[in-house]
Formats: sequence, structure tokens, C-alpha cells
Amino acid sequence: MAEDDALKLGGVRLGSRLIHGTGKFPSADVLGRAISASGAQMITLAVRRLHLDGDRRSELEGIDLTSYTLLPNTAGATSAEEAVRLARLARAAKLSDFIKVEVVGEQETLLPDPIETLEATVRLVAEGFTVLPYASDDVSLALRLAAAGAAAVMPGAAPIGSTMGVLNPHNLRLIIAKCPVPVIVDAGLAVPSDAARVMEWGAAGVLVNTGIARAGDPVAMARAFSAAVAAGRSAHLAGLAHVEGAAPSSPTEGMPSALVRL
Amino acid sequence: MSQPPAGSSGSATGPSLRERLLAARLYLVSDDATPAAELPSVLEAAIAGGVDIFQLRRKGVEPGDLLELAGRCGQVCRQRGILFIVDDWVELARECGADGVHLGQSDMPIADARGLLGEGALIGRSTHNRGHVDEAMSQRADYISAGPVHETPTKPGRPAVGFEHVAVAARRTHVPVVAIGGLGPHEARLALESGADMVAVVRAICSAPDPGAAAARFRQSMLEAVSWPWIFVNGVPRKCRPGEHLGELAAALELAEVGVVVEVNGSILARESWDLVDLHAGDRLEVVHFVGGGCGG
Repeated sequence: MAEDDALKLGGVRLGSRLIHGTGKFPSADVLGRAISASGAQMITLAVRRLHLDGDRRSELEGIDLTSYTLLPNTAGATSAEEAVRLARLARAAKLSDFIKVEVVGEQETLLPDPIETLEATVRLVAEGFTVLPYASDDVSLALRLAAAGAAAVMPGAAPIGSTMGVLNPHNLRLIIAKCPVPVIVDAGLAVPSDAARVMEWGAAGVLVNTGIARAGDPVAMARAFSAAVAAGRSAHLAGLAHVEGAAPSSPTEGMPSALVRL
Repeated sequence: MSQPPAGSSGSATGPSLRERLLAARLYLVSDDATPAAELPSVLEAAIAGGVDIFQLRRKGVEPGDLLELAGRCGQVCRQRGILFIVDDWVELARECGADGVHLGQSDMPIADARGLLGEGALIGRSTHNRGHVDEAMSQRADYISAGPVHETPTKPGRPAVGFEHVAVAARRTHVPVVAIGGLGPHEARLALESGADMVAVVRAICSAPDPGAAAARFRQSMLEAVSWPWIFVNGVPRKCRPGEHLGELAAALELAEVGVVVEVNGSILARESWDLVDLHAGDRLEVVHFVGGGCGG
């Protein structure tokens, strides 16, 4: 990938357009090797209470957080208020000004609450965060989030934690086409071809967690996603061919004359 | 027996056993020297002087005699509204309807006692070092004792752990800590100032010419103590030293690692300011760090 094709977000240049989740991996060791194999330069994190009694180690043990651009999330928030609090806690760790706003509106589907997501985005942009809101695949909402100052918008391909792939290709393509800020497709991408597909459409990047973490061999799958994201991006930059209906791919001229039985 | 089951509270509307345990300060443990026949009257006098929790501990007594003595002591405790604990012998605690049992390090595991006595019963555990404290907490003890502060003839050969262990125990638990081991009235005050919630006394009350007056001297001395305030850390009660600042607590909790963020009563406090923040009773601290997550945590 050409050096000047880096994804620029909040003053950071990301050579890899694959953002790597860090949840639900079988072990800290597998997580570390998967991130390395993916070539990702940005990883997501959550903010949670430190276990003061007993084992304090988290799955991030052994990962040098300073060698990545960190994208902490506000997972667990159900209101703008809670998202703002989690964002402030995340920034106070002094490792990142980025925040992935996640405000879940409903616990069974884990689908985002668009009103609270927008409210949190407005407030956190005002506080100087680089805000990447996770959003439903709604064009108007994406435009409102961009107008509110989001550095990128992150529409979900499918519900959080699922491997259902791209449920609404039409909406995602519309968002990619209309949104003035980078669109990073988040949640639900199951297999590398899902990632390649949205990248071909012009997504600026993808965030993958479950598709890698729950694969048979997460390290190999991280490598596969990395290749797919790069392929999809190259295809997008190359310009996709688009022809409706049948048309011969071979010349219609110059056919040898039909054999005539003498 | 027609006694209520161990741990049942006497009144449906009164404070629970654990609430009464939290309020208790002076913990009397019976000695072996007081004749069994005199023990109930010694207990009566001690309660009048301010004892609010009693543990029956007698070594080398026939089971039948001990059951009879437990019945009489339990009756005194119930009548006077103080907590009644039986040492070591879980079956006896159940038989005589005690509020709970106290287990030494070589006694039954807490979970087994809980199974026999039920969730409501109070279960205490002796601790002599930090490992004992952590183990007792993981096994859900209702209170722990910390000692012996001084060497005592009650536990010959057991090395004294001093007030240092009391402070360690106070730091690491969210249940009441009972300081024990050769404590007089003055040392009872020091024990509370080292983080104990209660002081256990054996000979200094049981062998006193006037057990009630002896108990009252303890209470008076303990009233003058500046005890450790309770705060809440990640939703769990925890004690800190009076006048302690956040920097000291952070050191005690080993929060030096990069990326740990502390919020006190809703305000995030930068690490550089920790030494300037005084902690007060009832403060609510959240201590967070990064964990793995993608979407939805």
C-alpha cells in the first residue's frame, strides 16, 4: 500500500485500515500474536474496574499499549452521560485522546441509541476528544454525527458480537457515498470477504473483533482479515468496474467464418 | 432442641445479625479458668459493662457439659440482646442456636460451616498473616480476628503479630476486624486506631475482680479512639487511616501501574494531585484501567 494512502484520523496516520478489537480472545498470548499478525496500528479497549483483590492481570497483559494508537470505547454506557464519564476516565489514563462512543439503547439487541450517541458525540467533541461514534446504519444519523464533529463514523454491519456479516449493503454504501468524514464499518463482520466487500465500496476502514477472536485460529484469521482489507482497499482505489446486464467480454469482430461443409 | 436455627434473627423487624455485628465494639471470649457455674454471671456483668458480642470457648470439656453451658450463655446473650458466637464447634453452634461460629486456622473450612449453619449465620476466622486475611475474604468470612497482637497465655507459642497485622487486615477486608491478644484498655484504643473495628478480651474481663467495671474501662478507652473511616472502593467497603490522603491509599492498594485512573465522588483526580486529596468517611472511589474490548465491552 502506498505510504500516502494512510488513514488520517485525529492527527494520526494509520498505515493499516484494520482496527483490531481486543475482547473475547482465548488468551492474552493469542491476542498479542493476532494483533501482530494483523498489522493493525489501532486497537480498541474497554474501561473497567481494576480487580483490587486477587489476580489483577487483564487480557492486555503483555501488550505494549504505547506502541499502538488506542481507541478506548464507552461500552457499557446506556446514556450520553455514562458515555461521557467513561470517555473522561479513558482519557485520564493519558494514553489516548481517541474515544469510540458506544451507547447501547437496548440490551437484547445491543443496537445503539442514536439520540444518546449524537448527544455524547457533541459533548465529547466539545471536550476535545477525537470522537468515533459507533452508530446504526442510518444515513441521516451519519451526516448528523459528521456535522457534530465526529472524526469518523462507525456504522455497524450487524449487531455487536455477532458474525452476521453485512445485513444492509444498500445503507452502508449510501453512508459511504454521502458521509463527509471517513466511514469505518464496525460490528458483525464475520469473514474476510465481508471486510473486503465494504472496503471495495470505499469504507475507510473496518473494526473486527469477534470474527478474529472466535475463529478456529485467531492468529491466522487476523492475517486473513489484514489481506482482505488491503485487497478491498486496492480494489476501491483501482475503481470498480460496473456494467448492468450481459455484454460479451471478448471481441465480436474478427470471428473466423463458420465452417462450411463441402 | 426447640432452639431457633443458628443465625436466625430474634425479630423480623430488628437489625440483622450483620448489622449488629457492624455495630459491635467489645468482644468477650470466655476463658478456661472461670468455673462453668460462674460464667453466666460473669457474662451478665460484662454485658452490663459494655460487652456486645460473646464467644464461648472452653477446651477440655465434655460435649454434654459444653452443650448445657452453651444453652445458658446463649440465653443470657439473647435476653440482653448481644451476639452469641461459639468457638470452633459448628454442630454445637447449630444445636444451641448461636448467632454464629468462630473458626481458627486449623478448624473447618468456612464453606463447610456455611453449609451446616446456613447463609444467615455469622462466621468468623482467625488470621495471623496477610495470606490468612485474603483467604478468609475469598471464603466470605463475616468477620476476621487479627492477632495475637501480643503473646498471650491463651495461645502459648504463637508469635505476636503486633498492630501491624491489624492494620494490614483492616486494609484488605471489607468485613469487621477484631483485634485480639493481650490487650488492655489502653491498647484497645490503639487497636481501633490501627484499623480494628472490635477488640476481643479474654482474661482482662473474665479474671477481673469486677468484670463489669473492667468492660466499662475498655469501652471508655475505646470511645476516645479515632477509628478508621469506611470508604467505598469499586463499590466495596474498605477502610483508610484517619486523615489519609489518596496518595497513601493508592500506595497501599499498589496503584502505581500506568493506566490506572481514580475517580473520587465522581471527579477524576490526576495522579499528580493524589497527595493533596484527603479522604473522608463515605467517599466513593472508582479505580479503573483498560481491559480487552471491541464493541459492547
